Amino acid sequence: MRLLTHNYLQSNVKGTEEGYPLGIVPETVEIDKSPVDRELLLNILPKLNYDAVLQAVEQLRPHCETLPNLPSTLPEDLDDELVNDLYFVLFDVHVKNGCLVCPSTQRKFPIRDGIPNMILHEDEI
Amino acid sequence: MSDQTDTTPRQPDSNGDRYHLLIEFAHKHLDFQIAELESVLDMHGISLGDDEECRIIALPNANKTKLKTRHGKTVQVHRVKDSGSGAVTSRRPFLILSLPRTSKWIPNNDETQTNNIASIILERCTLVRNVMELWGMGTSIEECAMAAKDWIQNYTLGKLTFSRVSSESWKLTVHTLGAKYTYEEQGVMRSHVSHLGFSGPVQMKDPTNEYVLIHEIELNETGSPLYPRHSPEGKIISENDARPPIACYFARTLCGTRQHKGRGKEQYSLKNRTYLGPTSMDAELSSIMTNLGHCKEGTIAFDPFVGTGSILLSCALRGAFCIGTDIDFRILKGRSKDENIESNFRQFNLPKPELIRSDNSIHHRHFRTTSPMYDAIICDPPYGIRAGARKSGSRLTNPKPVPEDQRHDHIAQTRPYPVSDVMADLLDVAARNLVLGGRLVYIIPSYADFDDECDLPRHECLRIVHICYQPLGSELGRRMVTMEKIGEYDVSKRETHYLVSTWVNGPESAEKCANIREKILENAKLKPGYESKLEIRKQKRKANKEAKRIAKRAAADNFTD
Repeated sequence: MRLLTHNYLQSNVKGTEEGYPLGIVPETVEIDKSPVDRELLLNILPKLNYDAVLQAVEQLRPHCETLPNLPSTLPEDLDDELVNDLYFVLFDVHVKNGCLVCPSTQRKFPIRDGIPNMILHEDEI
Repeated sequence: MSDQTDTTPRQPDSNGDRYHLLIEFAHKHLDFQIAELESVLDMHGISLGDDEECRIIALPNANKTKLKTRHGKTVQVHRVKDSGSGAVTSRRPFLILSLPRTSKWIPNNDETQTNNIASIILERCTLVRNVMELWGMGTSIEECAMAAKDWIQNYTLGKLTFSRVSSESWKLTVHTLGAKYTYEEQGVMRSHVSHLGFSGPVQMKDPTNEYVLIHEIELNETGSPLYPRHSPEGKIISENDARPPIACYFARTLCGTRQHKGRGKEQYSLKNRTYLGPTSMDAELSSIMTNLGHCKEGTIAFDPFVGTGSILLSCALRGAFCIGTDIDFRILKGRSKDENIESNFRQFNLPKPELIRSDNSIHHRHFRTTSPMYDAIICDPPYGIRAGARKSGSRLTNPKPVPEDQRHDHIAQTRPYPVSDVMADLLDVAARNLVLGGRLVYIIPSYADFDDECDLPRHECLRIVHICYQPLGSELGRRMVTMEKIGEYDVSKRETHYLVSTWVNGPESAEKCANIREKILENAKLKPGYESKLEIRKQKRKANKEAKRIAKRAAADNFTD
């Protein structure tokens, strides 16, 4: 699971008031460097919830020393370094195992082999 | 000048001096050809239509059939004129695009030109076999040769082109669409164009220019000659041999010679994938889907029924970033570390897709719906043909609560997911999560009783752009439907408008595409002789079983001896 996906995932079991953003409890985190795709980043950037990105980065930091420090708000003009940092955070960091935690109900969604399991149980529909 | 376009290719005034591009299609997925071409051109901002910069002009001997395109403009599709034989007016494998002389899309041999219409088409169109620069055409080789000569002598564009290419190395290929002609006979055809006067050296291997003289004949629905020149024994059938060609073309191939047009499709074939499932989509169809869905670099493609990821893999080959979800964890996980969706992507050095186990019937509960993310949603929804659909939830109205200490590894219950709901949810997810102008491309199978106009699912925010039909038998077929998001999604209308107005004729329409397997079996039962065939098969199975049992016992006896 990349942080891009995390930015869109939410918890919505029956009775949840605010299931976003999900907390990340990582067990294994992998870095898989890929060439920076500026076009893709600029496509996705305006759609992101940036605060959720910042929160996720802080939760992963103990497991991943190479995470960059991102500015608390995004500037109008992005320099190359920030583009690279954002791309790295969103597309190159993979949470392989661990779980996602709903901020409202504390329901845990396991991540195994990089695949988050968001399926709701029959009594949660 | 839509209806005035006649079979004379060019008028010597400045308006008529246009650039003509001859496109040859592979003879398959006939209904998809124009849709794919139009989508690929559209992706680059070239729109196709009678009143546009780029238009389709008539082939010699053409019967025009008007088709509506995306912008409500018409293009003509050419079929063979019924020659009184009662033959099917099958579609011809050629199409001519006409562009004004000044268009920036004309291939001009300038190294600063990064994109031209020929390279765009060749790079992406799965169903295009060859793209050529048309010099002349006519209903006979003589007429065609005259037209070519006229163009290079009397037209600005023709003169320019000829002066540039005539001194380069070249060869001339005769293309007769499957009819066999001896080398001498081809030589006679060649002699008609020999007076054009190329000064460059003839070079059979990798020449700079390949010229093609095409002798077009009528084809049957499988793409073979309708009136074969030779009998199966190899004798010339004189009455067929005497038939004139439907059209002749003289053209120069663009972007390499004809032999180079295999374009390495085989490497993407399903046969070479490490991980496959029973419903994996074949590489050619999914490649067409990526074109209809405008997948390219910098875009995000989503498949809500990802399965083995075969559709997403094609999207990734086009440079799109891929996200896939499925309700079945086993298929997402794959058989092993080297046999899963990720390994298929790794095989082609593509960035791995994002996979999430979630349920498309409640997509909005798994994903936030503010700021839509997907540029394209491309999928083959489950119709219960080879894999029945399930969705989350219990069959009971009041399911037993899961004890909290067992929640951790509880296996969530699922219940059947009727096709009418699968489609209503798919369109709703697309309307809600596509960016404006984003596209939904999906496949829907059906019997002949299915009606495009009133049986296809609808959504207020989506417009149908293309419907392509692929026959799979006399009765059975499947459609590839392309929709485009044209309006913002309004959550308050979800329950009251969107979900209830999906089916114009009610959800019964969905039944027409559900459980096709059962319908095929039902139909088979109605055929004469079904009972006796069934009996034969039964006995064969019994005999097989018996033989196996005997062999097994013999092996066991041998072992004890």
